[in-house]
Amino acid sequence: MKPKKKGMTLVAKQKAAGWAFLIPASAMIAIMSFFPMVKAFILSLQTGKGAAVHFAGFTNYARMFQDKVFLRSVGNTFFYLIIQVPIMLVLAILLAQLLNNRDLKLRGFFRTCVFLPCATSLVSYALIFRFLFAQDGFVNNALIGLGILDHGYNFLGNAMSAKIVIIIALVWRWTGYNMVFYLAGLQNIEYSVYEAAKIDGANGWKTFWSITVPLLKPTIIMTFIMSINGTLQLFDESVNLTNGGPANATITMSHHVYNTVFLRTPNFGYGCAMSFFIFVLVAILAFINMKVGDTRD
Amino acid sequence: MKKKVISLMLVGAMVASMAACGSNGGSDNAAKGNTSATEEGGASEGGNTLTVWTWDPAFNISAIEEAGRMYKEDMGHSDFNLKVVETLSEDCEKKLISAAQSGDLSTLPDIVLMQDNSYQKFVSIYPEAFTDLTDSGIDFSQFAAGKLSYSTVDGKNYGVPFDNGAVIGAYRTDILEEAGYTVADLTDIDWNQFIEIGKTVKEKTGKYILSGQADSPDMIMEMLQSAGASLFDEDGKPAMTDNAALKECIEIYKTMVEEGIYYEVNSWDEYITSITGGSTCGVINGNWISATIMGMKDTEGKWGITNMPKLVKTPNATNYSNNGGSSWYITENCKNKDLAIDFLKSTFAGSTEFYDNVLKQTGAIATYAPAAASEAYAQEVPFYNNQQIYKTIVDYSVKTPTNNTSPYYYDGRNAIGTQIQNIIQGADVDSAIADAQAEVEFTMSE
Repeated sequence: MKPKKKGMTLVAKQKAAGWAFLIPASAMIAIMSFFPMVKAFILSLQTGKGAAVHFAGFTNYARMFQDKVFLRSVGNTFFYLIIQVPIMLVLAILLAQLLNNRDLKLRGFFRTCVFLPCATSLVSYALIFRFLFAQDGFVNNALIGLGILDHGYNFLGNAMSAKIVIIIALVWRWTGYNMVFYLAGLQNIEYSVYEAAKIDGANGWKTFWSITVPLLKPTIIMTFIMSINGTLQLFDESVNLTNGGPANATITMSHHVYNTVFLRTPNFGYGCAMSFFIFVLVAILAFINMKVGDTRD
Repeated sequence: MKKKVISLMLVGAMVASMAACGSNGGSDNAAKGNTSATEEGGASEGGNTLTVWTWDPAFNISAIEEAGRMYKEDMGHSDFNLKVVETLSEDCEKKLISAAQSGDLSTLPDIVLMQDNSYQKFVSIYPEAFTDLTDSGIDFSQFAAGKLSYSTVDGKNYGVPFDNGAVIGAYRTDILEEAGYTVADLTDIDWNQFIEIGKTVKEKTGKYILSGQADSPDMIMEMLQSAGASLFDEDGKPAMTDNAALKECIEIYKTMVEEGIYYEVNSWDEYITSITGGSTCGVINGNWISATIMGMKDTEGKWGITNMPKLVKTPNATNYSNNGGSSWYITENCKNKDLAIDFLKSTFAGSTEFYDNVLKQTGAIATYAPAAASEAYAQEVPFYNNQQIYKTIVDYSVKTPTNNTSPYYYDGRNAIGTQIQNIIQGADVDSAIADAQAEVEFTMSE
């Protein structure tokens, strides 16, 4: 019979060390993130004014689909998603390709310029865009000066133009951010691949589509998921730029949740239900994205 | 070795900057809300100190600090201390929601200023957050009835009314003259006559006669209240469809925009600019807008104040209405309620001298009836061409009709504000109102 060893075996020690490193962080995530998520879900099953909530099953979720403003906000958010994200990503990848050119002078300067918008505070830039597009703002004055218009156009007072202003603001802000990711991805492509393509007679455009984009696929998938996540949760622009837009034309889902809880008569259960809806949407879209883009297997 | 030292230094610098950032960020946030206070926090302390949350240094804060000074020095409470924590109105409301929702009222101050429009919402959801003042000895009969209704629930008084939100019409006399009118032509008229005058003014001078935010229902609500009408019925249920008064107000508003005499802007700062930049020669709003008007120093002596036009078809139409205004409330977290009640009773609810001083400093006009009889209120104001505006405004507030309020008042206002924009863009008035009603009913359904 083998004598039992005193203390732990080496393997057990390593396992214990592993758990010791994991537990503090996991515990913190569990308490700070997962526990509130669970409580929020429970709250979403309740309804009532302020603190006087009572259990109501899934009525909040059913109610969401009759809430005209909420449905409007879902439509608006998807509008931003479908229009803004492709424009932004295409622009980002083109800029990254341009600024990856080794022979370009002042590359660092241009890269900084394109990335600088990301360093601005969300609230500040939204306010500034609002001033720019005001009826007597800079853009209107410039257009009048150039003779294109004879009196200021109410950008933020018309539904479609307000949405376009938000899209312009988003593209301005986030293109640099995604460009940096693409630049990093481009650095990983060896120059020899491009040399080989040049020898084979491929022009710039063909090189771009046949070599660069496929090699950048993981990065593209990642930025796409991040953009979907960010756009679906859009809040600051909706609040500060247009305040929900002319008659809820630009309101986003998060903004509506905020209004429901803090602006109107607070119904926290309903707000939680809508938040969970956003969460499920993001999860589904990210999942689809990964499945479609994952060509590894 | 060198690399190790450098990397250690960098890590140290990072940690230090994060710590500094953290505490700086914290105190920065507090400092933003505390420009006139000494410490952060702002919760009730008890003892001889009263903590107050309010906003607007030129107006409310100046007034309550004057009250504190008078209470301490002139009324002999030398150990009294007043701590004012500057908190914007929306922030007051959000903090109240957060505190009351969590059940932990300990972060609340002793006294908080709240806008009259929103108070009913708060007291219906969180009645436990406010103190009933009905039997506290404060004499509520001296306040205008229309104003008191905002802070009264089920016959119980919760708030001490403060500033007067009576609606005034302020007009540039020189521009009116150019078009051939005087301020008297705009007094005691109805909206049809007003629209005619507006059209002539626009034709002859190119100026709008009114302006306002496109998504703000202020103008419509002012018109409604001028006839004692409301978006809600006596039971607090939304009564927007089949509401002839509302329909008339919307139609008048639509006509003004279409005729080009009402300038619609998109945000609050644009609204202020439309006044100070001179795009409009007239303003109809709560009299607190006078502070903005009086900021236009180079137009001194060229403004006149009168009442607003009255509705044509609606019965009980008057030329008087209310927009805004707030009242002081004592929270349940107040540790020294007797002190707070005595403080409010001696100043806001008892001292005409207080209101005189406040009038000089801030232009804040009382809803306290005895105050209106004092000399300061009878003074002629040079800016308004030596009109006795203060007396006039208090007089308007007394004549303002009351109307039905509701905890969902804000929701109703919001819904109408949204639908107005649709109506201006061409939507059918009846279906837009029906949508607004449906929205409010949806919010009210639990």
